[in-house]
Amino acid sequence: MPSFRKARALAALVIVANGVIPALWILLTSMKTETELMRVPITILPDTPTIANYVRVFVDQPMLTFLWNSLAVATLSTVLCVFVSALAAYAIVRLRVPMGTLILSGIVLVSMFPLISLMVPLFQIMRTVELLNTWPALILPYAVLSMPVCTLVLASFFQDIPQDLERAAEIDGCTRLGAMWHVVVPLAGPGIFTAAILAFVNAWDEFLLALTLSPRVPARTVPVGITLYQGEFAFPWPIISAALIVAIVPICLLIVVFQERVVGGLTAGGVKG
Amino acid sequence: MARVRVGPLERAERRLGYALLAPALLLLATVVLYPIATLLWTSTQQLHLAQPWLEGFVGWENYARAMDDPRFWSSLGTTLIYVAVTVPGAILCGLGLALLANLPFRVKWPVRLGLLLPWALPLVFAGLIFRWFFEYEQGLVNAGLGLLGIEKQRWLSTPDLAFVATCAAIVWKSSSFVALVLLAGLQAIPASLYEAAAVDGASAWQRFRHVTLPMLRPAIVVALIFRTITAIQTFDIPYAMTGGGPGHSTETLAMYVHRTTIDVLDFGYGSALAALMFLLSLALTSLYIRQTRRDEGGG
Repeated sequence: MPSFRKARALAALVIVANGVIPALWILLTSMKTETELMRVPITILPDTPTIANYVRVFVDQPMLTFLWNSLAVATLSTVLCVFVSALAAYAIVRLRVPMGTLILSGIVLVSMFPLISLMVPLFQIMRTVELLNTWPALILPYAVLSMPVCTLVLASFFQDIPQDLERAAEIDGCTRLGAMWHVVVPLAGPGIFTAAILAFVNAWDEFLLALTLSPRVPARTVPVGITLYQGEFAFPWPIISAALIVAIVPICLLIVVFQERVVGGLTAGGVKG
Repeated sequence: MARVRVGPLERAERRLGYALLAPALLLLATVVLYPIATLLWTSTQQLHLAQPWLEGFVGWENYARAMDDPRFWSSLGTTLIYVAVTVPGAILCGLGLALLANLPFRVKWPVRLGLLLPWALPLVFAGLIFRWFFEYEQGLVNAGLGLLGIEKQRWLSTPDLAFVATCAAIVWKSSSFVALVLLAGLQAIPASLYEAAAVDGASAWQRFRHVTLPMLRPAIVVALIFRTITAIQTFDIPYAMTGGGPGHSTETLAMYVHRTTIDVLDFGYGSALAALMFLLSLALTSLYIRQTRRDEGGG
């Protein structure tokens, strides 16, 4: 059926174009010179592609510091979040804690609190304990931010592991925690990994808390760094575009490599929530 | 009531269960519950960080002030209009994308990436990218209008157009998450239902109307809840595109709270505004949850 094949190709084109064109346009912009960008009518492809904007991204602003801060905050909050969520999910699914489902709903409910209502008191609290403009000011809230989705994903993975395997390990002389560590954790590896990617992307992307709790350059993250990238007179679009591409590339790599995991995790966390 | 007998083994298991839950609950208590309590307490105080000598308990005064504050009402109105426009917008666009993505592609990864990229970008990046699209002289949108022979528009400095532009960015950014959730729902519909409908002579539209939509309902409700919760908090995209302007025309409640506290340092009043926002989102979500419960009860 050639017409069906054509329709299918068109559908794929629509989805890919919708997702990719904005980023592609920024990529083209980032390779144009400032004079070319001033020209009217606008050009689509750069006349003389240049990497000068990319150099200026790192020279004009401490972009490496922003990247390092984002990486550190996202990684550390992910580790904390996945660890805490895994313990909670295991307790709810496997140890039949009384009111387990109620506790799970409570954890999910927390994700529905508007972040701005948390931002105001967190600013006061972090100011009192002198943590403003430090990594921990972001790591702790970010760990909680992703806790609901991580707990849901991990709970559904733990549920699928046959209980007999743990019983067998216990009969072989393992303690309950030993069985969890040696049997459940390796088998739930994919689930833990999925949860970690979701938590990492959430933390990497977060803006409001980063803007308020950690705005100063030494602990500033990438989204805040790029948004506050003001030029002397106007918005320096070529440099902003280059900075956006620098920040988008790591996310792209992550989703290209782990696309199936990400989709699976999103829908497990979403549909069961 | 007969007490269930709990053996020593089970009791040990329970104790372990509580121990494993403890870190999560502790984290929730310090990062969510204690701050919410602080917020409610501060909302009854006069607390201006630039005027520390004026601190003190004022009761409901901050809330009363909000009721008389036109900027509170206008930012609340803007927020609700954003919810009313971008939630259905994202659901419709997301449904369209999901239906397209559900076709049997031989190579799956390009489609999956096309759906994932907008989801994975930070909201502010979407805001910056669309701000560049809607620039007056160099924007792609005005260039496209020029090709059609339509006059250039000052998108980001005209109140109504700025609202349209920010909505476009929000819908683009959020429809991909909706599409992923709905796609999972579509893939869970058994093919036999469509075959049976086809045997009964149902047209494509009838199959969509009477098989796809009812089966997809739970996934749509989930997407609706998530999207509404995030729409109430709209901050990043207008912040990056218009800064709330022109005037205050695209300023949402979240942006007004941010300005009142972080820029003006009026934490007493800002806390009252944030508490009102907390209540608003609680009310809307409980409305939704009640609705879904009723759906489940009714089968």
